[in-house]
Amino acid sequence: MLEVLGGSSTLAIVVRTLVVSGTATMLATLVGVPVGYAIARATFRGRTTLLGAVNTGMGMPPVVVGVIVWVLLVRSGPFGDLGLIYTQTAMMLAQFLIATPIVVGVTAASIQALPPRLPDLLAVLGAGGPRTLWLLAREAKLGVLAAIMAAFGAIASEVGASMIVGGNLERSTRVLTTAIVTETSRGEIERALALGLVLLVLSFAVNLTLTAVQQRGSR
Amino acid sequence: MSDLAIDNLRVGREGRIVLDVPSLSMRGGRTTAVLGPNGSGKTTLLRVIAGLEASHAGTVRVGGSRSSQSRELAYVFQEDVFLRHSVRYNLELGLRLRRIDETQMRHRIDQAVDLLGIGHLLDRRADRLSGGEGRRVSLARALCLRAPLVLLDEPLAGLDERAYTQLVDELPSILAAFSATTVFVTHRREEALRLADDLIVLIGGRVHAAGDRKAVAADPRTAEVARVLGFAVLGAAGRKVAVRPDALKLGSGPLQFFMTVDGILDVVGPPDVMGRVGDTRVRVPLGVDAVPPLMGARVVVSTDQFVEVE
Repeated sequence: MLEVLGGSSTLAIVVRTLVVSGTATMLATLVGVPVGYAIARATFRGRTTLLGAVNTGMGMPPVVVGVIVWVLLVRSGPFGDLGLIYTQTAMMLAQFLIATPIVVGVTAASIQALPPRLPDLLAVLGAGGPRTLWLLAREAKLGVLAAIMAAFGAIASEVGASMIVGGNLERSTRVLTTAIVTETSRGEIERALALGLVLLVLSFAVNLTLTAVQQRGSR
Repeated sequence: MSDLAIDNLRVGREGRIVLDVPSLSMRGGRTTAVLGPNGSGKTTLLRVIAGLEASHAGTVRVGGSRSSQSRELAYVFQEDVFLRHSVRYNLELGLRLRRIDETQMRHRIDQAVDLLGIGHLLDRRADRLSGGEGRRVSLARALCLRAPLVLLDEPLAGLDERAYTQLVDELPSILAAFSATTVFVTHRREEALRLADDLIVLIGGRVHAAGDRKAVAADPRTAEVARVLGFAVLGAAGRKVAVRPDALKLGSGPLQFFMTVDGILDVVGPPDVMGRVGDTRVRVPLGVDAVPPLMGARVVVSTDQFVEVE
């Protein structure tokens, strides 16, 4: 298998996959956790509808997100002047849009599952807004880390959006999933399977790390 | 010590007013019990004082300040709320958030732990304690803060009899250790009468009586207050008589009751209740609604004093 995978191109694809999906997951976490917290804690008209929309977004087909981002970023599109189409940035943007509803939805559910008086307790103990958010996220870490793992898993394994907005360019936007598609279409089944195995190992390594953090002190 | 003053406070929920307090003051350094039946607005009052709930109108001043942001207080919730960490972590959290230095923190925790007898629990997970242990840790956490204002929401609720008996005996010394303006809400009159200096009777979101505990407890001005304070209220043709349950005694004969009368309430016009407070022989024409409190009261045979009931 090492022979099949040999060469610097495979390593570059692995690194690119980690950079694109890792960055998108991180950005989705930074946005999704506070938004999920706000939706869980706030009471406002339309909250249920918003949660319904978020939950729908959790199941959004990546290929649909890819088409929408493509329409926005393509040269003739409203943001075409930015020159982002067929770049890693475009892929990160598409993956961010896929990952964020997952982080928001699961975070909101985790925060709602906490003891209802916990935010009040932190308030009277003297925690300000950001500190309260941090402490609650830590209390809900089982759920929040599950959200991050689910988000990373969803975008590291998606192929439609990356293919459409990244273009699967060999030296700049090819990631593991699009590389697998390419190798399969070329009839290089052995290399496609090997890349698939690499993707699984990569996913396992990332999830194992997050699971270790998640489970620390939870028993 | 911080006095607490409330003016024109109104809190609404789902289109109805749940708390309406035109004026109320609590004296600094004293323990004030807010007593009332379930749903009377006690917890809402406490939450508004703590700044956890907004009011539609009115002001709450603690030590002259209106700002709830800067209000330094300790709050014990009706149900135990802990972070999923050790008891020690939970005790330390409030002190760390208030930037208390390490030496002072150790000192305060040691004192609170000693007073509440929870040294053996320090390394246990706080969210896995029993009801009685949880209450003690909640009180210790509040005690550590050394806040000038302490708010206790049903601090003895949900305990089994053994834990309740133990803690209710210790509470006076715990409250003394707080050395703060303390407000605690309860629906159990025996707690309020035992622990408080001052008493507020809250019914239906309104203050029906407030003042020195002994004065309020001895002289209920309305039937509602009398009921909350544990008096049996006998209806008598539109008039009402308040009788302490332990003073209500059953004599021989189906219609003869012996009792001391502690207050004659709502008596207007020519009284049907023949007698005054302190009389040993009082004649009460018994109204229809007198039967349930009489039937539910403790019955003791005695010959001290009596009332003839028609």
